[in-house]
Amino acid sequence: MERKGRKRRRLCGGIADVDIVKVMSELSTRHLLGIKDLTAQDIHLIFDTADNFKEVINRPIKKVPSLRDITIANIFFENSTRTKLSFELAQKRLSADVINFSASQSSVKKGETLLDTVNNILSMKVDMVVMRHPNPGAPHFLSKHVDVSIVNAGDGAHEHPTQALLDTYSIREKFGKVEGRKVVIVGDILHSRVALSNIFALQRLGAEVKVCGPLSLMPKHLGDLGVEVETDLRKALDWCEVANMLRVQNERLDRSYFPSTREYAQQFGLTGELLREMDKELVIMHPGPINRGVEISSEVADSDQSIILDQVENGVAVRMAVIYLLASKIKK
Amino acid sequence: MDNVRILIKGAILVTPQQKKYHLKKRDLLLVNGQIKKIASKLDEKVDREIRLSNLHLSAGWFELGAGFGEPGHEDRETLSAGQHLAALSGFTQLVLLPDTAPVPDNRSAIRFFNDASKAGLTKIHPLGSLTVNREGKELAELYDMQQAGAVGFFDSGRSIESPSLLKIALQYSQSFGGTVFSLPIDSDLKGKGVVNEGKVSTQLGLKGIPVLAETTRIARDLHILAYSGGRLHIPGVSSAEGVKLIEQAKKQGLEVSCSTSLHHLIETDKSLEEFDTQFKVLPPLRTEKDRKALLKALAKGTIDYVQSDHSPRTPEEKQVEFDLAAYGTIALESVFGQLQREYDLEETIEILTRGYQFVSQETPKIEEGEPVNLSLFNPETNYTLQADQIESKSKNSLYVGKEHKGWSYGSILGDQMVLRETPPKN
Repeated sequence: MERKGRKRRRLCGGIADVDIVKVMSELSTRHLLGIKDLTAQDIHLIFDTADNFKEVINRPIKKVPSLRDITIANIFFENSTRTKLSFELAQKRLSADVINFSASQSSVKKGETLLDTVNNILSMKVDMVVMRHPNPGAPHFLSKHVDVSIVNAGDGAHEHPTQALLDTYSIREKFGKVEGRKVVIVGDILHSRVALSNIFALQRLGAEVKVCGPLSLMPKHLGDLGVEVETDLRKALDWCEVANMLRVQNERLDRSYFPSTREYAQQFGLTGELLREMDKELVIMHPGPINRGVEISSEVADSDQSIILDQVENGVAVRMAVIYLLASKIKK
Repeated sequence: MDNVRILIKGAILVTPQQKKYHLKKRDLLLVNGQIKKIASKLDEKVDREIRLSNLHLSAGWFELGAGFGEPGHEDRETLSAGQHLAALSGFTQLVLLPDTAPVPDNRSAIRFFNDASKAGLTKIHPLGSLTVNREGKELAELYDMQQAGAVGFFDSGRSIESPSLLKIALQYSQSFGGTVFSLPIDSDLKGKGVVNEGKVSTQLGLKGIPVLAETTRIARDLHILAYSGGRLHIPGVSSAEGVKLIEQAKKQGLEVSCSTSLHHLIETDKSLEEFDTQFKVLPPLRTEKDRKALLKALAKGTIDYVQSDHSPRTPEEKQVEFDLAAYGTIALESVFGQLQREYDLEETIEILTRGYQFVSQETPKIEEGEPVNLSLFNPETNYTLQADQIESKSKNSLYVGKEHKGWSYGSILGDQMVLRETPPKN
């Protein structure tokens, strides 16, 4: 493995390597629809490739020409700031041609179907689609009807695979490996694609996962996935090494699942005071955007224990890796 | 037509309720819509002689719940095409779900179906809407519709939200023996759910419809029935716990009947893992435990009937994101071939002819002098249903790709006959 890794690093690194890098190993799938479809080997391959790109993006010239013959469409049917930026940056650092499309400026409102919208874009000779969509399974639906590589950038409350990859990548970076780590995900699990993808990724890599939050925000059958639910934040923190604090997604709540943000914060907000009580070095994560004073206090978010901004940086490297690996399959 | 003479040669009769001919091979002479002669060997001069491979006959099958769409949704299926499809699939009788626009909430709408039924092949027993415009507010003219031929009252696809409306409907309809349908779904607990709440919905991030939505609704309805009296029918029960509640109510002597849909006997929510909208039905597909319980309850009679819940949908309604796709699958063509995978031939025929009770008729007899009401089939034809074999106008079938055991040649009702002779190739 070590030898292969070195070779990749060298190939990716050189600005003179204009051809797409011939990777020694490849992904088992031509799309990234969800973590569920990835093997542990796939994830490790993405991580190893991301290591190379992380080095690239820290150079004075942060760009490689690998994908200069690839055109990627970012199709966002739901608002996004950071994910979209992160994807676009990753694509540009790989020298891909990028077009952006978002629902607000689209014909969706004129009654066009998803399939027609995407087929129209594909007629312009696009090689890859990165899509965010409010309905679970929308990228899966698309993958059955169009002949293009698809990256899921979040589908409803289903999956957000690149977020989970960058989260687990960040844990690996911090601890050396993900296997055996104890991770608690805190917050609204019921409506969270980040939680579900993280659960799949952590389990696949051999970590232990618990979730914590009010039961009204927990899927009733989470136990069937082998995930234990803890309703006491103190106990959850006592158990874990990593706490991934999720935002309460008010925009997804179709009714009231808890009385008030204030009361939520009292029970499930991570404060400096609580952290000091724990008397151990917890790693604090958050997929962003953070609500200071709700699920996480400013003190915690800005503390040394927080790796929130590392996650953002790693996001670009991981997305570069995903796009790069999928593009190398298109080339074949 | 006068004196139309048809001779059916060498058919094996499947008549579990009539021991005389049961599983015996006979020739039948049909004249002008009547069974004239039954004998081991008949040589008659006739207009048409029917000889088909491994031909079996039974009393005409009775379908308890199929919708076509006319008027309003002719793009899904027209009435005449639907009737033809039902006749080909072995059904001579069919309770028509009022899945139309406008909904049939008055006498003339029911008459429209009756007229269509006379012209066609399968006898249509229409359902009327329970409330005006299916709005769940004012009762429709139930008595008037029943006089015109409606066999029950159903706000198709909608739950009865108001307990007092159900109470009043059950009370009012007793003077003329009307049957009130209540969809077993609590809309509030269903919320925006689209599939069964369980492991699968959790993995897919799809909103779940808990079994609780079914049990609380059935429990409420049974309490009201115990209070008000009347006849209650619960269509499409989907869960083991739902069946349990109905079983208890029947033991207490309540006048409740129920059905389950074919797909609930065949499929579970596991099939949703690819987000295939063909498997999006309401109530949703549940788990293997529920499926097993439903199969058992239907055999035992706790569940009175199986309905195809035949729901044609256009590609535009199905080829969209899962949350946005319409509920429903077509099924008429698959009923026999699927039931026979779960039950033996005699059980299957018994189940398929139960529906006559629902309209207070006796199961038709295969006997000299009786009117002709026959289904013709080969119980041994095995095939895998291919999309291009589907006869229905709409192709939204969750049974595509499934093994079928048994194939219907068609049916004869009175002097109307629909037959196909070449079985599907496998």
